[in-house]
Order: sequence, then C-alpha cells, then structure tokens
Amino acid sequence: MEKAVSENIIIELKGLTKRYGYGDTESFALKDFDLTIKRGEFIMIMGPSGCGKTTLLDIIGLLDRATYGDYYLNGENVASISARRQARLRAKKIGFIFQNFNLIEDLPIIENVALPLIYTGYSKTSRLKHASSVLKRFNLDEKEYYLPYQLSGGQQQRVSIARAIVGSPEIILADEPTGNLDSRASFAVMEELKSIHDEGNTIIMVTHNPALTVYATRVIHMLDGQIDTDVKTVSDANLPQPISVRIKKHQPEIDLPSDDGKHKSKKRKKSRRKH
Amino acid sequence: MPLLLKTHYKLARTAIKEHRTRSFLTCLGIAIGVASIILILSLMGSVSNLVKTEISELGNDLMVVRPNHTKDTVSSIVEELTTSQSFQKSNLTTSDVDAISKIEGVAAVAPIAVSTNTIASEKNTLPSTTVLGTNLDFIKIEPLPLRFGAFLSEKNEEKSVVLGHTLSLALFNTINSTVGKTVTIMGEKYMVVGVLDQINKTINFDNIDFDNALIMDIESLSQTSGPAQIQQINIKAANTDGMASIADNITKTLTEQKHGDDNFKVSYGDDITHPASGLFNIISGMLTTVAAISLLVGGIGVMNIMLVSVAERNHEIGIRKAVGASSRNILMQFLFESLILSISGGILGLMLGYAFAFLLSTITPFAPFISWQIVAVTLVTTIAVGVIFGIYPAIKAASRNPIESLKHYR
Repeated sequence: MEKAVSENIIIELKGLTKRYGYGDTESFALKDFDLTIKRGEFIMIMGPSGCGKTTLLDIIGLLDRATYGDYYLNGENVASISARRQARLRAKKIGFIFQNFNLIEDLPIIENVALPLIYTGYSKTSRLKHASSVLKRFNLDEKEYYLPYQLSGGQQQRVSIARAIVGSPEIILADEPTGNLDSRASFAVMEELKSIHDEGNTIIMVTHNPALTVYATRVIHMLDGQIDTDVKTVSDANLPQPISVRIKKHQPEIDLPSDDGKHKSKKRKKSRRKH
Repeated sequence: MPLLLKTHYKLARTAIKEHRTRSFLTCLGIAIGVASIILILSLMGSVSNLVKTEISELGNDLMVVRPNHTKDTVSSIVEELTTSQSFQKSNLTTSDVDAISKIEGVAAVAPIAVSTNTIASEKNTLPSTTVLGTNLDFIKIEPLPLRFGAFLSEKNEEKSVVLGHTLSLALFNTINSTVGKTVTIMGEKYMVVGVLDQINKTINFDNIDFDNALIMDIESLSQTSGPAQIQQINIKAANTDGMASIADNITKTLTEQKHGDDNFKVSYGDDITHPASGLFNIISGMLTTVAAISLLVGGIGVMNIMLVSVAERNHEIGIRKAVGASSRNILMQFLFESLILSISGGILGLMLGYAFAFLLSTITPFAPFISWQIVAVTLVTTIAVGVIFGIYPAIKAASRNPIESLKHYR
C-alpha cells in the first residue's frame, strides 16, 4: 500500500522560488517552496493577497516559470522544458478555471468549451460532439450556441469548468472560481467541482472564502511565499481515484459520500477556529 | 498537423468574417495594388502579342537589324525625348543595306529611316509628320495594303511618295483623288503615287504609325533633310531553314564593314517582338514601380489591421495559451489571417485588373492578355505580401505573456 501511495504522487515541488525584480526592488512571490500533491487531492490554498497563491498556480499550470527550483509533474522535471512542451502538457494535463471566467466573448459556449481540444488535435466535429456531451452534464446543453454574455455569472463559470475538464486533464487549477459569484451560484459551482473531484480528479483551488474549505481534502495556508499551515482532512488512502487507477489496483471502490459528512463537520470547526 | 492547419485556417476565416468591413477594406488595398500590376502586365503582354501576331503574319523568314542600346539609360532616354527627332542614334548606313543584300540567302533588305518634317499640300500644312525613308524592297518584306495607286517602283522611285490613310485625309481632306497631287517637303515637290489602306496598328515591329506616315525613297529623304538615320533594317530570308547562319553572316559582314564596331543586333523570330524603343521599357518599368508601391501600401494596411486585431484579441490570446495553445499555434493563427486577407485581396485584384484591361481594350487596340505566368506571379506576390506584413503582428501575438494577457479583460 505504501508503494502505491508514493506512485500516486502527481506533483512534486522542491525549493521552488519565484523572484520579481532585482536589488532594491527584489521581492519573492515564492520562497523555497516545497509541496507534494497526490492524485485525487482537492487542495484549497488560502492566504492574504500577495502571498504567492496565484503565482504558485501559474507555475503549476505551466503558464509561468520559477526563478529556480524543481517541479516534477508525474515524475518528470518540467521546470526547464521548452515552451512548446509546456504548451503541450498544458493542453493535455491541465485545466484552468478563472475568477473572471475568461471565456472568448466572440465564440458561442460550445466552441469555448471545445477550445482546448483544438490543441490536442481533434477534428471539428469530434470537438463539438465532445463539448456538447460535457455541456449536457452541466445542464447547459440548451445554451450551446449562446454567447458568453447571454449567460449568468454562475452559468459562465460552469461553462469554464466544462472547458477545464473537456480534455480530461489530470489536474484542475481554479483561481478563486467563486470570487465573482453570489452564494447560490458559488454553491452550484462548488458542487460541480466536488462531483468532478469524486471522479478522481486532482483539484487545486485558490480561495479567500474559508467556508469553502469544507469541500477540500487538504487546506494550505500560505504566508509570504511559504506554507504557513498544511492540514489534510482525508487520509491519502481514502482519496478518490480515477476509474482506470482503481481497476488497475484491484481495489474495492471507495465509498466517499458516507464519510463525507464527517469531514465536513471537522473542517467547519477548524475554519471557525482560525478566523 | 494538417488537421491543425485546417483549424487555423478556419479560425482565421471566422475572425475575418467577424470584421467584414475592415477586412474588405484591407483586401481592397491589396486588390488595387494587384490590379494595377495586372493591368500593366496585361498591357505589356498584349503589346508584344500584337507584334508577335504581326510577325507571324509576315512569316518566319523575317530578320531585323537594330542598333544595340547598350547605353540605354534614363539620361539617354531623356536626351531622346528632348531632341526633336524621336528615334535612336544609329550607326546603320545605306552601305550596310547594300552589304546585307549581297549575302547569300537574303531575299530582300529594306532600311527603315524615320525623320520628322513639315509637309504641305495645296490645302494644308502639317508640322512634324513622320516621314519613312526606305527602298523598293520594303513592300516585299511588309506587304502594306494599298487603297489607291501603287507603291514606289523603279519607274517612279524619285520624287514620289506614298501617303498613309489618315495623313491623306489630313493633307487633302480626301483619299479618293489624292493620287497624282503634289506635296511639298522642305521646299521640294513630290508626287503622291499611292495611298495606303487604313491599317490601324500603332504598335508594330517598325515602331511606325503607318496611317499617319509618308513613305518615300531613302535617297530622296537624305537629299532633302540631310543624311537619314536608319533605325532598323528589315531583312527577308530566302527560306526559313538557315536563319541562324544567315544572322551570323550578317553580323560578320557588318562588323567587317564597320571595322569592328559591333553596336548593332541581328534578331529574328520572337526576339523581334521586343519593342524597338527603350522608352517603352522605361515607362512600363516606372508604371510597375508605382504599382509595386501601391501594393506595398496595401501590405502596410494588412499589417496595420493585423496589429489592431492582435491588440483587440489580447485576452483571447491569453485564454488560448492557458488552454494549451503554443506560441507557434498563435503565430500560425494570425499568419493565416493575414494570408487570407492578402490572397483574397490578390484574387479580387486579379479580377479588377482584368476588368480594367477589358474596359481598356474597348477603346484601345490592346486586348486583355492573360497567361498563367501572370496569375502565378500575382499569387506568389500576394502570398509574399501576406507573410512579410503578417509575420510581425503574428510574432507579436505569439510572444504575448499569457499571464499578462489574461489580466486584460474587456
């Protein structure tokens, strides 16, 4: 079992440092940052503004590079690979969800969702078919040919979640996905993320809202580019795994919903204590 | 990869469709440049086509000796334009004509000497009229149609002239009773022995508008207006087999005759079609330059609109990069856009150019001239314009930092 868990490591950051400016203007967004993330974790990263949360997410998402340090993605050091390979990994392994949705205004919903598939070499028909089936899951199939501005904020964010998962990535990165939404829409979005997580996806989410940490399996507080506290609420063995992994290991299916309630109450208590 | 290229093409087409008006205007910029190039190429092609048809009508046994324009520079052209006589300085003489006529295989030799004189009839006086001095062989080489009378012959060689159709009208207000009347050139009286039929071919390999010319014997011309400059010698070979060897013989004979001065050129077949005047080449060169400049301006238009497009779609570039587009993908997307703009501009220009050429052909003798070379040159040029003026905006788009771009939301 121990070995299986270590094989499950999806991201490993070692001594990651991101520096902005030189000399007097020098500042560090990340300072000697170490983090190991296992498949199936739902990590929430919290912390004050400017503590390096977004920079961390950009580096994990291969949009940005660390000044120095190592980043292993599935055991491969990707800290200094070419921009082209970064783009390819981004297309295949990473899905982004943003606070401001970042949908292309001129494209209908379905083409926005199909966007990542362009860069992984799908034909137009299969792209649209795929996107359509994902939209159906989010109950947006009737709005396929709406333009983004015709949808509410919550719907737009669900579209962007659909876009993030359409290419079945291994990691989903969410930068304050509920930041621009009211509590009702936030709830809907978080429920969607939760169901995606239950399917064995790894989610890393930055948030300012402590109430949302109930959904997480691990909560990390950052301060000045370093980890302040790191609390796991679900043991590694109980993390949801993708179907393919579950079959490979001949493990019985993990019954998550049953111990979900327990975790929720625990987490809630914790967050109350902190704030 | 081909699939991705197709996708880039489709993306670019969608982007262009979204901004119909401005894309159309950009295309128009390219189209005007291309249209003017097409128009000029078509005109040049049609001119040499006219001469080519004429020569093939005359037969394959035609040969021409022309002075060699080794110093055919702009200044010599300007000199030519500013002097009253609009023909080239030539070193060809009547003794060269005699020498050529003795060469084996030569059937007929006629000099073409042109001068500009004032011609008077009993009714009218025409200043600066083209006077062609030649000999009796001329009509053997170039059978010009006669309306009335006869061409110069041994009987009436001296003191007689043949008038062009239009010239006859201008001098005597008629063509019917012109034969037998007299015209005065430089104080000398000449009798009109013949009037040509209307030819209506201003472009020919002699570079003479026969409708407006007066034809007379070259000896008489030399006597009245000083030694005539021979701008061309027309030669008819006895048969078409030994053209090359005859041409060699002529070159040899003339070089000997002129003591090594080889400032002339013997040409036959398609070589003759090159218009006699260097002026034509200079003018068409200048026109092409102007057209190329307008194409350049069109290209700058493409670049301008592409830069606007890149700036407008900064956010989109950021999103595309975040979901997995590489810099190369973005580059291709924008490059395709500028290529589509310039190529569709090129096609539009092709059509416009030929439409103009067709319009022009209704009022001039220049029939529209289409060849695959012209179409190929146009397409290659527009592709080059699309790449040259599209690459900078495309590189600019591709090198955008996705994190910065994502912060820019409209």
